[in-house]
Amino acid sequence: MTVARQQQSQYLDRASSSALVDVVDLILDKGLVIDVYVRVSLVGIEILTIDARIVVASVDTYLRFAEATNRLDIARSGTETHGLPGLMDQIQESGGKKKTKGALEGVKESVSDLLQGDDEEDREPEAEERTRPRRTRGSTSHRERER
Amino acid sequence: MAEDGRACYVYGVVTDDRTDESVKDLPAVGDPEAPVTLVRHGGQAAVVSEVPTGKPLGTPDDLRTHARVLDTLAAQSAPVLPFRFGTVVRDITAVTDELLTEGHDDFARGFERLQGCAQFTVRARYEQDAVLREVVLEQPEAARLREELRGLPEEAGYDQRIQLGRLVMDSIAAKRSVDALELGRRLGPYALASVSEEPSSAEGLVNASFLVEDGRRQAFEEAAEELAEHWHGRVRMRLLGPLAPYDFVADALREGKEGDE
Repeated sequence: MTVARQQQSQYLDRASSSALVDVVDLILDKGLVIDVYVRVSLVGIEILTIDARIVVASVDTYLRFAEATNRLDIARSGTETHGLPGLMDQIQESGGKKKTKGALEGVKESVSDLLQGDDEEDREPEAEERTRPRRTRGSTSHRERER
Repeated sequence: MAEDGRACYVYGVVTDDRTDESVKDLPAVGDPEAPVTLVRHGGQAAVVSEVPTGKPLGTPDDLRTHARVLDTLAAQSAPVLPFRFGTVVRDITAVTDELLTEGHDDFARGFERLQGCAQFTVRARYEQDAVLREVVLEQPEAARLREELRGLPEEAGYDQRIQLGRLVMDSIAAKRSVDALELGRRLGPYALASVSEEPSSAEGLVNASFLVEDGRRQAFEEAAEELAEHWHGRVRMRLLGPLAPYDFVADALREGKEGDE
């Protein structure tokens, strides 16, 4: 990445990411599945299943949002920079006793659980509700093609 | 090459004009000592490395390494056809005689489609205070609940808190659909294709991937920078790329089968 390019990107964050949550979002369930259209000698190495995409829509989250909204100083508009990490920290703080986790923490935990040889099938995350993000695109999705 | 307990991890397929140096020194999935190599056949080359068969794949490092190999190749030049994480075949002979032989025509179509194209992925998130402030100013009910809760002790007003929190999350969801459309409207014209998905966190706006031709890359990046400036203080925008076309490779092969557009 050239210096010139970095100077151009004053507002856009161009840093490449090796954060696990980014990598998982980028590559998991994406890419060509070769046995769909060619017959090859695939070797069935066990693949650890990871689902980092946990959406929390629980009472706990409502309460956190309410709290954050109440703390807000409307008069000092635009100058406060608590930022998003603030909310994530709060969510994670309560994660110990409540059932809410940051996505990254969730991944680490399920990966290490699986490495310890727990059952490999779809484990339910501890969050109260989990959804896979809906993908929107003009044409058929990967999943449909695999049938 | 494959001995007992070893098999061949396949990252993806590239065109034969790549040099062996292009994958030299890249880390390998499953075995850090194994070299990443190109296996050539019929004008195409599979990007592979040896993996032990006795060990499960899928550690955080495995995932990062898979992406790093493919993204490094994508940054050098297109096209790259990325395979799904965890694709493992018996040995090098299976790569040449089966994978590259049987897949040849499909891969060729993919190369044609993805020639000179890379994926760029935008990850946008709301700035918490800014978006909450918008909600309170736009929703009289939120402002009212906030007033009602002011000064109440923690244990009081539970129902109002839940109500306020739910209202705020619903309002953010509504903003999300408007803003995700805006992002697509601004960046879509510079891309051949796009895919978007809802983010996994409550303050996420959207994760959107774009397939961008080399010739339009600068215009795309400028449009992204312009939108990031427009949203500054309200939304944080990150742009990842050039990446291997993870979100577009399957469509590129499939569309080819149905005849040209």
